[in-house]
Amino acid sequence: MNAERTLRVLVTVLGLDQHEAGALAVSRILRDAGIEVVYAGRFNLPDSIAGAAVEEDVDAVAVSCHSWEFLYYSAELVKLLNEADPPIPVVVGGSVVTPADRQQVLAVGVADCVLAGASPEEIVSILRRVSDRTAVSK
Amino acid sequence: MERPVSADSPLRRAGRRAFYGPQDASSDYDRQLGDPGEFPYTRGTRTPRPGSERDGRGEAILRELSGEGSAQDSNAQFRYLLEHGATGLDVIGDGPTVLYMDPDHLHARHAVGNTGVSLCRAEDYVALYDGVPLDQVSISHSLPSGFAIAGIYLAATRLGHDPAAVRGSTILAPLYGEDTGYGGNLPLELHLRLATDSMEFASERMPRFHPFVEDTYFISDGSVDIVDEMALGFIEIREVTRRLVERGVEVDQFAPRIALLVNCGMDFFGEVAKIRAARRYYARMMRDDFGAVDPRSMAVNVAAHTSGATMTRPQLVNNVIRGTSQTLALYMAGVRAMEISAFDEPIRTPSKQAHIVGLRTQQIVQLETGVADVADPLGGSFYIEALTDETELSIEARVKEIEAMGTIADLHSQGFFRSLFTEAMIERSSEIDDRSRPVVGVNCHRIDEAEDTLLRDIAEERIEPAYEIATEIGAWKRGRDRELLGKALATVEEAGRDTGANVIPAIVSGFEASATMGELAGVLREAYGYPFDPLRGSERPV
Repeated sequence: MNAERTLRVLVTVLGLDQHEAGALAVSRILRDAGIEVVYAGRFNLPDSIAGAAVEEDVDAVAVSCHSWEFLYYSAELVKLLNEADPPIPVVVGGSVVTPADRQQVLAVGVADCVLAGASPEEIVSILRRVSDRTAVSK
Repeated sequence: MERPVSADSPLRRAGRRAFYGPQDASSDYDRQLGDPGEFPYTRGTRTPRPGSERDGRGEAILRELSGEGSAQDSNAQFRYLLEHGATGLDVIGDGPTVLYMDPDHLHARHAVGNTGVSLCRAEDYVALYDGVPLDQVSISHSLPSGFAIAGIYLAATRLGHDPAAVRGSTILAPLYGEDTGYGGNLPLELHLRLATDSMEFASERMPRFHPFVEDTYFISDGSVDIVDEMALGFIEIREVTRRLVERGVEVDQFAPRIALLVNCGMDFFGEVAKIRAARRYYARMMRDDFGAVDPRSMAVNVAAHTSGATMTRPQLVNNVIRGTSQTLALYMAGVRAMEISAFDEPIRTPSKQAHIVGLRTQQIVQLETGVADVADPLGGSFYIEALTDETELSIEARVKEIEAMGTIADLHSQGFFRSLFTEAMIERSSEIDDRSRPVVGVNCHRIDEAEDTLLRDIAEERIEPAYEIATEIGAWKRGRDRELLGKALATVEEAGRDTGANVIPAIVSGFEASATMGELAGVLREAYGYPFDPLRGSERPV
């Protein structure tokens, strides 16, 4: 692991989910923690997210969820990002995410899942942890 | 940028004084207040009848957000609510529908029918309103405005109602909706066109319908404060009014049908003052800036939707209490048409159980507490009057400030609104993180996730996407008369290019010729030099 390297995280929302407040808040939290943020915004599908993640050479993808679409896109998104070299981990989170949803997305290979009420420190720590795995193999 | 609200302003809760006295509020009753039903309508737009809310003669429209799955499923939901005492309906479209998309759009695949009703065809609107007394029930539409008007107009005609008797409204997604979470990928000029044409159409054919509800909820929820909420709303009303007047429509012909749908958060007195200030500002604006002479043009009807952003995922039952506080504030501010965000709002569109709790909240406040028995019960309070005065002045200053910076189109293209909304969203989340904005259960008074079980089973019940609707619409589309469809789309595109024409009758004809909302929006985009589908998830059929 290269401790000097600044982590890069792509922050996005999926499908027709237009609630950006969470994505913007997470972007701020990550930037405040010294993590570089690539903000991909709204109207993204798994292929556009994967394309941007590879092009921007990010260490992780963070999906902010305020609709249920993440449940149905997660497997496809994980599959596409696993094809990257090295694979890019996906973290999902948001107020709509329930403990049952967490189990469901972890089962399809999402690296971690943040539930409502997580503190900024927890969010940063989760993204650092999953990103370190990418950074090690880089 | 310097905001007109000073750091120690009473508008900022932290800046409010320990108490207020006569020196803090204007004492000019006739100029600033007037009786309810009289200019400047601070105390309400209607002359009240004593005790009317409790004996059933009141004006109150009780409604809850509804719509789920197909038009038929939603129709059953409507009948259930009406059977339980609702006197209005608020129809919300699912993700694709509110974005002018058909359910078979590539981006729509996992979002059909699970956060609202899927509507894209004339027959969907007919099925939606089958058996609903359209002349008695007031129907609010959280749907793309020009299309919802065309849809209910057609449904009324086919179901045997006179469109002129149809009551209700359609909200206007803000002109800057593309910047604040309501992006339909429409050019600003087309948003404006749909608004002005809807108003002209309704003033001629649906005179009891509010075709233009300035929805400041859209603008504010989760982001800007009450001053920007109202200032941005008024800037839109002013723009649309100017355009209609330029087109030669008399202000008194359309202004009586403009309504406001405002947000209501947890700042109890701030929200009451906001609504009173908004009525007064609107009355003066219509009279002094636009030359309205009909009192109905100056008396704006204010409806409200309580803030979904104040509802929290932890300790869901707390949301019932938040809804009750907001309902009380709204009744005390003289609002008589409202929806209460349901307790399961942070997770889903309302469950059947949450619907009933929302309705019962309104009924208990209306019938048991007596707060609605007397108009403007807080009027004359030093504190409320000081807040109302300051709010009106701040709104006025903010409108002037923004209008001096440029037109809506210029400011939109410069990214002004986008940065305003994004900064406000970030600021709000920072306030919660640093605990300067207390939210019970979120940043204080928390409990362990394992103990937080009350109402969770209801809220977390999942609604699967209605994949069958996308399949059905796809098959239905392939069976249409392509020649008829092609002609209809060409006609709508032509109407879109002709800025002297009204596009609403063309949309009605398009629906009748089997065109869908996604297709009609697509050809209108093309008329404005945009691609048919900027997301490239659908194609023009002919």
